[in-house]
Amino acid sequence: MRHVAVVDLGYGDAGKGTVVDWLCATRPVHTVVRFNGGAQAAHNVVLRDGRHHTFAQFGAGTFHPGVRTHLSRHVVVDPLALAAEADHLATVGVPDALDRLTVDGSALLATPYHRAANRAREIARGADRHGSCGLGVGEAVAYGLAHPDDAPRVADCRSPALLRRRLTVLRDRLTAELGPLDAPPVEDCLPAFTGFAGRVAIVDGSWLAGALRSGTCVFEGAQGVLLDEWHGFHPYTTWSTTTFTNVDGLLAEAGLPGEVARLGVLRIVTTRHGAGPLVTEDQALPFTDRHNATNPWQGRFRFGHFDAVAHRYALAAAGGVDGLALTHLDLAGPGLRICRRYDTTDRITPGPPGDLDRQAALTARLLRSRPVYDDPPSDWPEAVRAELGAPVVLTSHGPTAGDKTPHGPLLAAPALARSV
Amino acid sequence: MGSGIWSTDVYDAADRYRRSTGKSAFSYSDSGARTVHPALDPREATRESRDSDEHPRSTPVAVLFDVTGSMLKVPRVLQTKLPQLLGLLQRQGYASDPQIMFGAIGDATCDRVPLQVGQFESDNRMDDDLGRIVLEGGGGGQMTESYELAMYFMARHTATDNWDKRGRRGYLFIIGDELAYPTVKAREAAGVIGDNLTEDVPLRHIVDEVTSRWDTYYLLPAGSHYAGNAKVLDFWRDLLGQNAVVLDDLDAVCETIALTIGLGEQAIDLDEGLRHLDRAGSTATGTVSKALARLNRGRRAEVSTLPAFRDTTGGVTRL
Repeated sequence: MRHVAVVDLGYGDAGKGTVVDWLCATRPVHTVVRFNGGAQAAHNVVLRDGRHHTFAQFGAGTFHPGVRTHLSRHVVVDPLALAAEADHLATVGVPDALDRLTVDGSALLATPYHRAANRAREIARGADRHGSCGLGVGEAVAYGLAHPDDAPRVADCRSPALLRRRLTVLRDRLTAELGPLDAPPVEDCLPAFTGFAGRVAIVDGSWLAGALRSGTCVFEGAQGVLLDEWHGFHPYTTWSTTTFTNVDGLLAEAGLPGEVARLGVLRIVTTRHGAGPLVTEDQALPFTDRHNATNPWQGRFRFGHFDAVAHRYALAAAGGVDGLALTHLDLAGPGLRICRRYDTTDRITPGPPGDLDRQAALTARLLRSRPVYDDPPSDWPEAVRAELGAPVVLTSHGPTAGDKTPHGPLLAAPALARSV
Repeated sequence: MGSGIWSTDVYDAADRYRRSTGKSAFSYSDSGARTVHPALDPREATRESRDSDEHPRSTPVAVLFDVTGSMLKVPRVLQTKLPQLLGLLQRQGYASDPQIMFGAIGDATCDRVPLQVGQFESDNRMDDDLGRIVLEGGGGGQMTESYELAMYFMARHTATDNWDKRGRRGYLFIIGDELAYPTVKAREAAGVIGDNLTEDVPLRHIVDEVTSRWDTYYLLPAGSHYAGNAKVLDFWRDLLGQNAVVLDDLDAVCETIALTIGLGEQAIDLDEGLRHLDRAGSTATGTVSKALARLNRGRRAEVSTLPAFRDTTGGVTRL
């Protein structure tokens, strides 16, 4: 059985959600597995009948009956946002999303205290914001690393006394560091977390191994490789491994190493939401994105020409792909150009994970770099294939599954799959 | 990188999980309550459906169902199905800004709670009203319930911007399986609603009154005691014509109501509506098709005493 892993080779927002939705529309998929990030993901899926949902914690295949979602231990789980998301899914015709969800009990919890601390820190940074979403995901990861034995985890929601103790310690530590936090009392938080445990199936690591042997699974990445905690442009990164590393680890633990087709998603307009380098940014580009509004934590959504230099770097950092999915081809036009080199270099290469000084130096260099543009390619898929040295196996001209075209055998639907 | 768009309010989340366990189904009734919940008490009440900045063109929808014993398990099935109604209406854009009210009908001659009416809501607060309904479960065996009293309330104790501003009727669905009494009795109107009538109001009179402001349908579902009884169907056909509809699968109730509204708002024709259901994976298309075939043939004429408000988009916001 071959699974599929979907990773964004940009700064996020390339269209992972719509690709995952298409995969689930064109073949029987057992489970969509989330392997990084948390509630700050925003994967927009639009159906042909106009229904729309922004998937944050549920897998982007949830519109398809029977497709499950598994939140692996690498996800920072936010039960509060999860409840609201499930409610919205019910209003767009998916009443059983919570019934189709499993969550690894060892995953970290995002809590109102993490969220309040996250916001307090971003506000204190003033003009030097990192572009965080203000949902406390990075804060939860940081706390988990600093206090691995005290950090609240999903399984704790089944033990109110233990959860109360861990939330209290968390609140007290963060308050001691940052001052009073804008968050509710511990007692008021407990019903939400215990309600979550009463409603959602909390499982251990062996559940995923079973799912991986039961049917095709789609690994859905969050954010993008250019935001990766080690390979992104420090400090404008997410506290999450956005490459295939977590996927490889989960498959190896299940005894299925390498049983996955690696898919890299790119849009022909390179975009970024939040602060940090975007070398090809061009405010004259006539695009808007209806699903990425200006918000107080990340500012406005930024558009740039196709940055082949940055995407080649992401591809190398991710360790290569079996194929590329190229989205937003409907935006191709005479105004959209391709950048194959910067004025300072034509190639940037990844360093070893963990060398943040090197990444910070790289960021400084990128912020000084100017793009060199070539004329718009007449054949975008061919131009991208040539630049990245990987086949384009899926093209997308619009938001729905019906706007996608597969190329070649990698993503060919099994003979018995439903039509799109 | 995305942004969190789903609410992380801790109180709200606790409430959502509580609701999603389904434990709230008729929790008020199941806890032993035998008097009307204050939120549903019709006494000296008016139920309003008003426009707001968020919902500028409200469309009122009232769903009142019989809760007496003859309906057997029907109310409990309805309670699990009806919360989906708002989503169905919204996602297909069949009606602009739907606001839904739920209520329950009993027998004023012998029941403790003969009429219960919630408020028009445009979010899941309407689910709370469903949970507060008292199920009578008795019934007199005389094949008659106080539907006329419910229609009296809808005619004289509701106010809607859809009517006041746009001259458009709202939608009233009565789900039941028995006959109405021949008059609205002044004594019952006083006792249950608090109105002082000088004389009884004949049934035909109150039907004319309610249908002038509410596009009124009677749904006779399978699974109820008198389902398929020709006497009941003939009685309602005589009063409401083609708007008396037989529903042979109760699981299809939301789809039937949604498509009826879509047809009434001229947002769809029946074939298009059935295609929507099919595409959404609904198993109800057969039942709905059968139930609504008559409605589709004779499209209602819009009745308006005010200068009718019309716009070029047909009043339908597609999502």
